[in-house]
Amino acid sequence: MTKYYRTLFATICLAAFSCGASAQNKTIAIGYHAPLSGENAQYGALFRNSATLAVDEFNKSGRLPGVTVQLKFEDSKGESKEGVNIARKFSDDPSILAAIGDFSSGVSMAAGQVYAQTKLPQLSQTASHPDFVKISEYQFRNITTMSYESPLIAKWALANGAKKIAVVAIQNDWGQSVVSNFVDYVKANGGEITDVEMFNPGTRDFRSILTKVARGKPDAIYLGSFYEDGSAFLQQKVQLGLKQQMYGTSSLYSQKLLELAGPAANNLNLSTTFMLDSPEPHVKAFVKDYEARYGSKPDMFAAQAYDATNIVLKAFVAAGGANATRAKVRDAMAATKDFPGVTGVTSFDPKTREPAKLLTKLEIQNGKFVLVK
Amino acid sequence: MRRKLSILVILIAVLVVLPGILVAVGGGYWFRVATTIGVFIILTMSANLITGTTGLMSIGHAGFYGIGAYTAALLATNLHWPFYLTLPAAGVVTAFFGILLALPTMRLIGIYFAVATLGLGEIIHLTLLNWVGFTRGPMGISAIPGIALDGLFSASDIVNYYAVALAVVVAAFALGRLTHSYYGNALRAVREDDQCAASMGLNVVRLKIQSFAFACFFAGVAGALWAHTTGYISPADFRFSESILILAMMVVGGLGSLPGAIVGAVILLGLPEVLRPIGDYRMIVVGAVMFLSILFLPRGVLGETSVLAVMRRQFGLAWDNVKHLGWRQ
Repeated sequence: MTKYYRTLFATICLAAFSCGASAQNKTIAIGYHAPLSGENAQYGALFRNSATLAVDEFNKSGRLPGVTVQLKFEDSKGESKEGVNIARKFSDDPSILAAIGDFSSGVSMAAGQVYAQTKLPQLSQTASHPDFVKISEYQFRNITTMSYESPLIAKWALANGAKKIAVVAIQNDWGQSVVSNFVDYVKANGGEITDVEMFNPGTRDFRSILTKVARGKPDAIYLGSFYEDGSAFLQQKVQLGLKQQMYGTSSLYSQKLLELAGPAANNLNLSTTFMLDSPEPHVKAFVKDYEARYGSKPDMFAAQAYDATNIVLKAFVAAGGANATRAKVRDAMAATKDFPGVTGVTSFDPKTREPAKLLTKLEIQNGKFVLVK
Repeated sequence: MRRKLSILVILIAVLVVLPGILVAVGGGYWFRVATTIGVFIILTMSANLITGTTGLMSIGHAGFYGIGAYTAALLATNLHWPFYLTLPAAGVVTAFFGILLALPTMRLIGIYFAVATLGLGEIIHLTLLNWVGFTRGPMGISAIPGIALDGLFSASDIVNYYAVALAVVVAAFALGRLTHSYYGNALRAVREDDQCAASMGLNVVRLKIQSFAFACFFAGVAGALWAHTTGYISPADFRFSESILILAMMVVGGLGSLPGAIVGAVILLGLPEVLRPIGDYRMIVVGAVMFLSILFLPRGVLGETSVLAVMRRQFGLAWDNVKHLGWRQ
C-alpha cells in the first residue's frame, strides 16, 4: 500500500514537473544592487526607476518568448559590508544570471571580489575605478573612465587658448583619476598646471580653495565633482569675482546643477554621453517614457542604468534565453559591440572589458545646456 | 568541571552546530553574513572594554579598525606576508597607535573624552583618505590575498567563517578573562569614580591606557580579518558611521556585558539581512527595534549584572565568591 502511494506521488510530481516544462514559462533574473538608503540614495532610486522601465519594456516586447525576466533589487546603503553580503546572496540564487551594481567604485569592487569567485558576471553602470575591470573577466562597466574623458577636455581647453589651467577635484578614487589623466595630457601637450586642489567629500565652502587657485592666475579651471558640490563651487567662484573659463566633468551634467547654481553655471564647458534634448529617436522615446512613468526627467545616471540593464538583457537573448547560463551571459556581454544605447553607441573591448563611447561637448548658456560643434 | 563543560558547549556551538545550520539553510550567503557579523562581534567586544567596562565613551573605534585593516592589507600586498603573520601584526600596530593616540586624552572623562575620540577617528580616516602615496588614498587596496595555506586549504566562505569564528572565540576568551577578574573590577572602579579609585591606590591612567591598548589590539585583528575576507578595502569602510554602529551594538546588547556585545552585533547586522524581503522599510524596522530595546531594556538585552552572575556560575570567572571579596550582588 505504501509503495502504491509512493509511486502515485512520484507520478504526480513528474506530471507536474513536465507540465511546468511544457508551459515554457521560465524566469531568469538580473540582480541589481545600489544604495536605496544612506547618503547616495538618490542615485539608487534613479537606477531602480530606469532598470524597472527597461525590464518591463523587454518583457512586453516578447523578444524572449516563454521567458520572463525578473529584476531583483537590493539596497547596499553604499556600504562595502552590505555589498559583499548581497553579492553572495545573488551568487547563491540560481535564477540570477547577471548582476548590475553598485553605485560607488568602492562597493562595486568589494562585491566584485565575490563575483570573481562565484563567476557571476557583474556590470556596473558607474564604477570608474581603474582597477575595477581588472578584478576578473567577470567585471564590466558601461561608463567611460576618466582616462578617456579627461584628455578630451584637456584637448578642448588647450584648443580654446587656455595655457595655464588649475584643477579642483573631489578626494575620492574617481577624483584622483580625473586629476592624473588631465594633468598628464596638459603637461604632455605644452600646457601648464598652476594648481591641483582636492576637496574632501561633503565640502560646501570652497572659498579658501578658490582664493588659493586664483593666486596662480590660471586661464581656466577644470572641476571634477558632482552637481551638489559643483553648484556651490560655481556660485562661490562668481561671488569672489573670478573670471576664469570653467571646464567640468560629465558628472556635472544634471538639471539640478542649473537649478542650484542658477546664472553662476553659465559658460561652464563639459562633456556628456547622455543628452536630454538629443534629437535621436531612441533617446527621445526613453526620456518620454521615463517622464511619463516617474514624473521627472532622467539624467545621466538614470540613462547609464537604463543602458546597463539593456546591455544585460541583450546578452540574455544572445546567450540563448531560456538556456542561458552565467558563463554564456558573460561571453555575450564581452561581445557587446555597437550597442545603440541612450548614452551613445557602446562597445566593450573583448579583452580589457573597457567601454568605448562617443562624448558630446556641451556649454551652459543662459541656464541651458547647448551643444558645441 | 562546569567551566570545562561550558567552554566545550560554546566551542561545539560555534565550530560545529552553527556551521551545520548555515550549510542547511543554503551556505554561501549566510556564511558571508556570519563572517561580517563575526568581525563586528570582535569590534564590539573590544570597544566594550573601553566604553562599557572602563567607562570611557569611545566613538572613534572605526579608526583603529581601519589601522588594523590597512596594516594587514599593506603587509599582505606589498611584503606578501601570510595571514597568520598579518593578523597579530595588525593587532600590535593598532595597539601601538592606540596607546600613542590615547596618551593625550587620558586626563579627559565623559563627553570630553568622547569628543576627543571622535577627533581621533576622523584624523585616522582622513589620513587613510589623503595619504595617497602610502595608503593609495581613495583608490583603496584591492587584490588582498584571502585566508589560505598552500596545500592545506584555499580561500573560501567556510574557511573565512572558521578563521573569524576562531578569532571571535580567542577574543572572547581573552576579553572575558580581562573583564571578569580583579583587574576587571579595577576597571569598573575607574568607571564608577576615577578619583575614588585613585585614592584606593589604583593607577588610573595606567589602567585606562592598558584597556585602550587591549581594545585596540582586537580592533586591529578585526580589521585584518575584514581585509583578508573581503579582498578590497577603502577608507569609506572606516567612517564615523561605523563607530556609531559599534556604539549602538554595545548599547543594545548591554554596556559592559561581553555576551551583550555579541548579541548586539548579531541583532544590528543580522536583522537588516533577515529583513531584506521588506525592501525600503527594513532600516525603519531596524531603527524601531533599536528604539524599543533602549526604551524597554535600558541596560541592554543582556545587562552587565545578570551576565556577571552567569559568568561566575558557569565559568568560575569573576572573583572568588566564597570569600565575599569584590563585587557582591
